Amino acid sequence: MNDKHTLTCIVCPKSCRLYVENTGSGMQITGYGCKRGLEYANEEIRESRRMLTATVTVRNGNLPRLPVISSAPIPRRLFDACLRELSMVVVKAPVKLGQVIVRDIQKTGVDIVASRSLTKREG
Amino acid sequence: MSIKNASVDVAVIGGGPAGLAAALAAKEAGADQVLVIERDFELGGILQQCVHDGFGILKFGERLPGPAYMERYIDAVSQRDIKVMVDSMVLELTSDRTLYVASPIEGLVEVRAKAVVLAMGCRERTRSQIWLPGTRPAGIYTAGTVQRYINMEGILPGHKVVILGSGDVGLIMARRLTLIGTEVEGVYEVMSKPGGLTRNIVQCLEDYNIPLYLSHTVIDIHGEKRLTGVTVAKVDADRRPLPGTERFISCDTLVLSVGLIPENELSYDAGVELHPVTGGPVVDECMATSLPGVFAAGNVVAVFDLVDYVSDIGEIAGRAAARYAAGESNDGPAIKLNPGANVNFVLPQVVHPIHLTEPVAFYLRVKESKESANVFVKSGSALIKQVPQIVVRPPEMVSFVLTPTEISRAGNFDLIVSVE
Amino acid sequence: MREDYDVIIVGAGITGCGIARELARYDLKILVVDKEEDVCCGVSKANNGMVHSGYEPKPGTLKAKLNVRGVELYPNWAQELGFKFMQTGSMVAAFNEEEIPALKELLERGKTNGVPGIEIISGDEARKKEPNLNKEIIAVLWTPSAGYVEVQQVVLALAENAVANGVHFLLGAEVTNVMVEDGKVYGVVTTHGPFGSRYVINASGLYADKVAEMAGAREFTIHPRHGTLIIFDKREGKHISCFIGAIPGEFTKGGGPMTTPDGNPLWGPSAIEIPDKENTAVTADEIHQVIEKDLRFIPNFPINTVITYFAGNRPATYTEDFFIEASTKVQGFINVAGIQSPGVASSPAIAEMVLNIMKEFEPLRESPDFNPYRPRFIPFRERTHAEQAELIAQDLRFGHVICRCEHVTEAEIIRAIHGPIPARNLDAIKRRTRAGMGRCQGGFCGPRVTAILARELGVPVTTITKKGLDSELFAESIEKLMPERETIR
Repeated sequence: MNDKHTLTCIVCPKSCRLYVENTGSGMQITGYGCKRGLEYANEEIRESRRMLTATVTVRNGNLPRLPVISSAPIPRRLFDACLRELSMVVVKAPVKLGQVIVRDIQKTGVDIVASRSLTKREG
Repeated sequence: MSIKNASVDVAVIGGGPAGLAAALAAKEAGADQVLVIERDFELGGILQQCVHDGFGILKFGERLPGPAYMERYIDAVSQRDIKVMVDSMVLELTSDRTLYVASPIEGLVEVRAKAVVLAMGCRERTRSQIWLPGTRPAGIYTAGTVQRYINMEGILPGHKVVILGSGDVGLIMARRLTLIGTEVEGVYEVMSKPGGLTRNIVQCLEDYNIPLYLSHTVIDIHGEKRLTGVTVAKVDADRRPLPGTERFISCDTLVLSVGLIPENELSYDAGVELHPVTGGPVVDECMATSLPGVFAAGNVVAVFDLVDYVSDIGEIAGRAAARYAAGESNDGPAIKLNPGANVNFVLPQVVHPIHLTEPVAFYLRVKESKESANVFVKSGSALIKQVPQIVVRPPEMVSFVLTPTEISRAGNFDLIVSVE
Repeated sequence: MREDYDVIIVGAGITGCGIARELARYDLKILVVDKEEDVCCGVSKANNGMVHSGYEPKPGTLKAKLNVRGVELYPNWAQELGFKFMQTGSMVAAFNEEEIPALKELLERGKTNGVPGIEIISGDEARKKEPNLNKEIIAVLWTPSAGYVEVQQVVLALAENAVANGVHFLLGAEVTNVMVEDGKVYGVVTTHGPFGSRYVINASGLYADKVAEMAGAREFTIHPRHGTLIIFDKREGKHISCFIGAIPGEFTKGGGPMTTPDGNPLWGPSAIEIPDKENTAVTADEIHQVIEKDLRFIPNFPINTVITYFAGNRPATYTEDFFIEASTKVQGFINVAGIQSPGVASSPAIAEMVLNIMKEFEPLRESPDFNPYRPRFIPFRERTHAEQAELIAQDLRFGHVICRCEHVTEAEIIRAIHGPIPARNLDAIKRRTRAGMGRCQGGFCGPRVTAILARELGVPVTTITKKGLDSELFAESIEKLMPERETIR
């Protein structure tokens, strides 16, 4: 039985439509315009990953939220768990750009780091 | 307190990506007194609230979150002798380059500048400007304002959201709202094609199963005090609602992502010539406007989609401003670049061929998508340059370069840029 | 029973506040109550601010009498209360010969009503005054005495002067009953408790019939007539300096383009009967109607410079005239109802008339401390740069511009929050300062104004509302969120 679905490649603006078919002997990928598209499709099939960006609570900073970013793409199926963990994080100002906020989040091997520096609130 | 006086070589209005790039370039080019005036509490501009990644692919080879991209510029500014006023608003710019600035620290300051760089960015198109009928409850926001509330003020605007407009800002907010636990019922787009990048459709809508309704718009707003719902409808090719397709959606928040407008109030009042299509100043290869000594860079010139381009033209404007402040001028015969087939606008709109020593980068937007297209630059019937493109789409600015030699081949004749 | 008053006025619109200020001249304890959280939130809110000259009302009606008298009194009001009143006149246009008799009829009516300086001039003469008028206009009824105000500024000025002279305001309190015993009124019950008084003045606009019913003094019915107004960018404020409209009584009913004292072009209002008093939704049809109609007068106007549009309901009685009478059924209950156009123009005269009604009941002693003056605080944006420097020297927060479009400073917002009629929500700030009235419609200043409100009121920003209870702007503070929902559906 063949199982076919489509994905859109997001590597470059061409946005090729990729076709993934689960043939009896494995995954067949067509439609890619270049090698990077094929790589992307393989990655997506194996495990769809994305960069995670969010904000976390800051105490005593010149802003109430600190923007953060994952150090590498994270499997999408773990997003909810990661966001839940991040919603419980409280960081104390000052913060430096790149500072690790959560190490190895949800055992992904990926860190969550500060996207900016934040100074202590004045006064 | 009487009016404080200040004299600077280069005054930059706006401390976002364009303004900071201009200030740094002006300093680098030898300007002594460089001042950046920023109305927010810190430098960085709109990128401070753009917590998503993707900035700086061209400039730094990285996909940085907005604040990280800007921190490089902010740090550089603090390391050079560039004066900064934050929480400060330019109330007026005169045609002879006097700025009146309101500052809660310095008071009312009259700044006489030898050169000015306009870098005020954009504002968002409002509900009224799209003539959306209905009531006026709480719960209607433009996408940028929602982004500010969520990412910088730490406030959730509502629980169930309908988004009108599938431009990148709307798509990014669809994802952001979803990640913070809001239900995004759908994204509605009046055109038959999405307004944003395909990669954003994938990463912001498809990833989260948020439906995208093309050829749809919001035709009514309900709720006296707080939004209780909207009515959407399918539209025809002329964007008119089709009777019988109306659908009521219960929601408490409507996010409008219906366009950006370059913020040129100061420019207009100073007498700067504005372009009817871009909504920003007509500029030349130095980003000089029609007003001597006044330059412009970034979204105030036209709505850009890549901050890398914004930084580039910021640098050009800053360098040119420094040269102007030092007494150099760019007078001389000028030729125009006019939009041809399938081109909405091209900028800069003017070049001075005689003064060119370096290649000039041009930016255009197409009207219709096309694969395997070519940018044609012609002078009369003579083909000056042909630049192949894999694909062109209205939401993605196209950039091409012309060398001084190529431009000189036009002689005194205007250039026509088309994409076919 | 809570505090006893001499007079309770129900309704804090231009009618109620005008009466309150007038009565404040006398030794009376006065309370004004309104169900909305701010003054000027009912009928007075959606108003084009035109002080009509008085040719329109039928001669012999109360409208005719009070309109003309009101216009006489306006310059004095403006001078004492410090609001902008521009007397730039008004025009009614005739596009063809068939319309001339109607114009002449209006001229006669105006003369009968005592409208000063009313005359018919040719289209060319009209275009000398207003060069952007449609060339097809052949004649114009010209009344130089017509003027323009920003109604919210008038209401605020009246209310603030009333407060300065001892009047109490209770806002956000809805009257649920009027207490009557032995045919005499003795107070009202509100959602904030009962209050005693010897007189109750019913100036409650759309709900005047409902309040009168509570007292057993209902002699009229209010039926709402919906009207939509459109406001355009100040940059286009030079197209026309006076009002110009069509001959009333055609299929179009009054309304036309004008420019407000603050410089915004304002078009409309439309007029549509609707059943629901609370319906202030703007329809596509009405927008279309207003534009189509008003574009006739100044055809080259760029309508894409629209800033906002909104609608309100006029409280029309079936006689279409004002109903201003002491009730014969309930002693001490005075109805001031059906105050639709020319309600704004008539306002000083309505206050005068109600005062005279009161005087018929009992002699009133003038209060020696009454101060009629409420100086206008000239906003930062209207000052010279030298004056702005001076303001910032007094308070550095004048140097912090919050509303970019209208140049409203933090100091002015704080002033509004702590003013005599304190601003507690976003619309109240907007009403007093113009923050949020500009091109970006609060996109930039919204986060800043709400933060200032929260800080000054000492409340969480999530409690800040747009216009009072149930119009909360936000759902929750993000740090309090514990996401329960799955993001991947």
